[in-house]
Amino acid sequence: MKNTLFKSSLLALAGLSTLSAEQLDIEKDELKLGFIKLTDCAPLVIAKEKGFFDEEGLSVEVIAQPNWKQLLDNVINGELDGAHMLSGQPLAATIGFGTKAHIVTAYTLDLNGNGITVSNAVWEQMQENDPKLAVDQPPHPITADSLVPVVEGKLSEGEKLQMGMVFPVSTHNYEIRYWLASAGIHPGMYTSQDIKGFTDAQVELSVTPPPQMPATLESGNISGYCVGEPWNQQAVSKGIGVPVTTNYDIWKNNPEKVFGVTKQWSEENPETHTAVVKALIRAGKWLDATDESGAFLNREEACRLLSKPNYVGADYDVLKNSMTGHFFFQRSDKREMPEFNVFFKDHASYPWYSDGIWFLTQMRRWGQITEAKPASWYHETAKSVYLPDVYKAAAKHLLEEGHITESDIPWDSDGYKTATSDFIDGISYDAKKPISYINSHKIGLKDPAELDNQ
Amino acid sequence: MANKSIDTIKYGLLRIIDVSGFTIFDPVVRLLFGEEPAKQTSKILKYIVIPTIFLFVCIWLWASIAPTHKTKSGQVPTPSQVIETVETNYRQYEREQEKKTAFLTTGSERDAQIKAAKERLKSLEEESKAAQSELTKVEESSLTEIENNLAPFKKEIEAIAAKLKTLTSSAKTEQTALADAIAAGTAKPETLIQAIADFETQKEALTEKRSELNKQLTEAREDPDALKAARLRANAVANEIQHTNSVIDHYEKKNREYQVNELMTKADAAAALASSSKDPKDILKAAKDQVRNTKKIEDVQEREYAPTSTVFWHQIKRSIFTVFVGFVIAAVIAIPIGMMCGLNRIAMACFTPIISIFKPVSPVVWLLIFQIIVGAFFPDPENHPLFVLSSTLPFIQDLGVNPAMVFSACTVAMCAVWPALVNTALAVSSIEQDHLNVARVLKLGFFDRLFKIIIPSSLPLVFAGLRISLGVGWMVLIAAEALSSSDGLGKFVWDEYQNGSSFSFANIIMACFIVGIIGFFLDRLMICLQRLVSFDEDGATV
Repeated sequence: MKNTLFKSSLLALAGLSTLSAEQLDIEKDELKLGFIKLTDCAPLVIAKEKGFFDEEGLSVEVIAQPNWKQLLDNVINGELDGAHMLSGQPLAATIGFGTKAHIVTAYTLDLNGNGITVSNAVWEQMQENDPKLAVDQPPHPITADSLVPVVEGKLSEGEKLQMGMVFPVSTHNYEIRYWLASAGIHPGMYTSQDIKGFTDAQVELSVTPPPQMPATLESGNISGYCVGEPWNQQAVSKGIGVPVTTNYDIWKNNPEKVFGVTKQWSEENPETHTAVVKALIRAGKWLDATDESGAFLNREEACRLLSKPNYVGADYDVLKNSMTGHFFFQRSDKREMPEFNVFFKDHASYPWYSDGIWFLTQMRRWGQITEAKPASWYHETAKSVYLPDVYKAAAKHLLEEGHITESDIPWDSDGYKTATSDFIDGISYDAKKPISYINSHKIGLKDPAELDNQ
Repeated sequence: MANKSIDTIKYGLLRIIDVSGFTIFDPVVRLLFGEEPAKQTSKILKYIVIPTIFLFVCIWLWASIAPTHKTKSGQVPTPSQVIETVETNYRQYEREQEKKTAFLTTGSERDAQIKAAKERLKSLEEESKAAQSELTKVEESSLTEIENNLAPFKKEIEAIAAKLKTLTSSAKTEQTALADAIAAGTAKPETLIQAIADFETQKEALTEKRSELNKQLTEAREDPDALKAARLRANAVANEIQHTNSVIDHYEKKNREYQVNELMTKADAAAALASSSKDPKDILKAAKDQVRNTKKIEDVQEREYAPTSTVFWHQIKRSIFTVFVGFVIAAVIAIPIGMMCGLNRIAMACFTPIISIFKPVSPVVWLLIFQIIVGAFFPDPENHPLFVLSSTLPFIQDLGVNPAMVFSACTVAMCAVWPALVNTALAVSSIEQDHLNVARVLKLGFFDRLFKIIIPSSLPLVFAGLRISLGVGWMVLIAAEALSSSDGLGKFVWDEYQNGSSFSFANIIMACFIVGIIGFFLDRLMICLQRLVSFDEDGATV
């Protein structure tokens, strides 16, 4: 009886991946993971829905959280085991900007995936300032240069242009700041007294949870925002705003979200952590799988899953835009953007120290880190938060089980990406020299150069 | 004799109607038993038929106004769209049930079900192909349609651009000529200023017109309704396919029995290896594996299906449970304190400032306060005895009691406590002095006085207060759940708002009706209780 059953189930399994030869000795098999309604939570959703968690012997519940603060609090107080986090969150929590707790990450969920959207009124003014933009498909990248007169016009009326971002330590905050500052617009500094970051601001950036961005833009409280998908495409489909640029243009292949857990949790459940990362790596690889012509194999199915109301819940057609590699900048301006969301390829999911250091340099640049720190501090902090060893351990298991290939993982890397100048303003970033990078920006704090050698 | 039993039934029914507060059905019952048909018919006409017609008129108004009111966030859903979302939501519940059955099915039944599901999948795939080809057709035709619609706007915009160009160049020549003339002394400076001002107004008018046209152009680019409908159809089939695939998955590799079998074969293999191998290392490893597998098999055997929470019936049940927990907390606090205040003027004076200050505070503030205070009691929610206990109790275990639920319930209690408290105090302090005098004459002890006189005579008002409390609690709960993301109807509404899909608006309106209907029945429940403890017959009608 048992034997026949086994045979039939084996038949059912044929064609699917084989079960791992040796399962990890997980400490905890029922997990609760939190996420925010954004397309880049996809690896978590896929790992659950495609059974990658199940295959690791994990029974996982994936729960939507109302905002980034609550998500972080729930991870810290133990209600959640881990969560989809902004790259800056584990770093900021660890150094004690905002809620203090040692959070670590062993997996980068995705690269890119954000856009900056401005209201129709601002877009019209930008078009007037720069006639090149007044066509159906304006040339890219669009810098904030044409926004300067709008900001100045507002200032002369005694007002400041209001824009939205999703969290003080979010990628979005640093990206919209980068974009504005690269055109000479001052987005404001954080100081120990001013935790809203309005000091000296020409444009005031305030926090709004991602799903509420389009509604806030429509109500006129803000004139633009920087947010992840699908909330830029939503603005286009509802006709309330125009995405002017994506973070792919601001910094090509920038790190976006990570999978964060508390250090304590990671230490108490090392094997579980590895098992979760294993499932996530498989999910990432599944999401980025392409056929020979480079077309995504699984993204449509992923969109279908994400559009369920308990996950992202937005319309399938809206989600599909950016996920399947194209992006509507206006209704008339649809462009191919195959790398709008990168989940796995080119070692995207590896927890690079250099990514962490970039966020730390931005925190220092805008005054969130209130005192000058030596370069060694940047390296140590990044190393206390990013855990490539867990990632590599998980990858090793997957390699043995045949789910990934040798070249998928940067086995011998020291954790630093090579220096790059793929930024909108062409400034070069070398993670080995964080202080000179901070000093290379026109707007922002400057630190004594000799700190780079300490 | 027969008459008498009919009367018993009749008055029994009337009593039920009276107690439950549905007195509008009173004439229906009387009419059925043939009591004064003319009078009852007129009552039915006045209090049942006319209100029903009024309701239908309201629905008709909604149905006819909704489609004309478009916002950027979407159209106001019509009643039929709302009914459709009820169906969709119910379908989601059914889908979860299907997956659950699939997860638990065993033996030959499983094989049969897999076969059936695969057949269903085949027919669905054909349906999907048809829907897809239909969609591409509609897409193509709507593309040309949009292009055609756009053409006149584009032409006009181009014309305006050309006009602007000529205007600018002619104005430029005119202005330079005038400036030259002024320099030569043949013209007055005012004419130049006038010319420039004229040019500016003309230019402004043209740009304004252009931006108006641009707006219309963007609107004209919106997908036509036929395309939207075709997309919806294609998506519905695709969703069903995905669901069927997932059900098959739950019959196959996610099935509990299958997982157990899988582990058992592994355990057997390990056992075989342990007994046959000569290498001590292998033996050790195999033995370890065996222990591990046995434990795992036990775990998997006990594993339950982890359902996705759906509004039917999980979220509804959880909300009702939370509101009752909060309500009980409120009642337990309010009634004793209220009685104390009613009996003792000093106690009343002590509590008055507290009541007056905290009564008007918004539930949102209470929620944030409780989130911090209550959170401190549960440093490790997983192992806290309260939650461990609640996960073993019948009925409650499925609801998933967690700190979020506790502080939602506390918020409900904090807001619901006031009406009950104030009413109890009022009820106790307004007990007739004669009753108390009788107690004094009889030399009743405190507890006798409390249980024989004070509680019985204050009960109707106390219950009136509790009824208001439950109403307030229910209202507050939805807000508390939305904010704390404690699973329930409030979270459903909030999630839908955040989802921003084309169904969200209809879902929110559906939730509005569900909340209203449940609130109505909770209120009726309290009326029943109130009626049961009242002495006077019509002291507590609506």
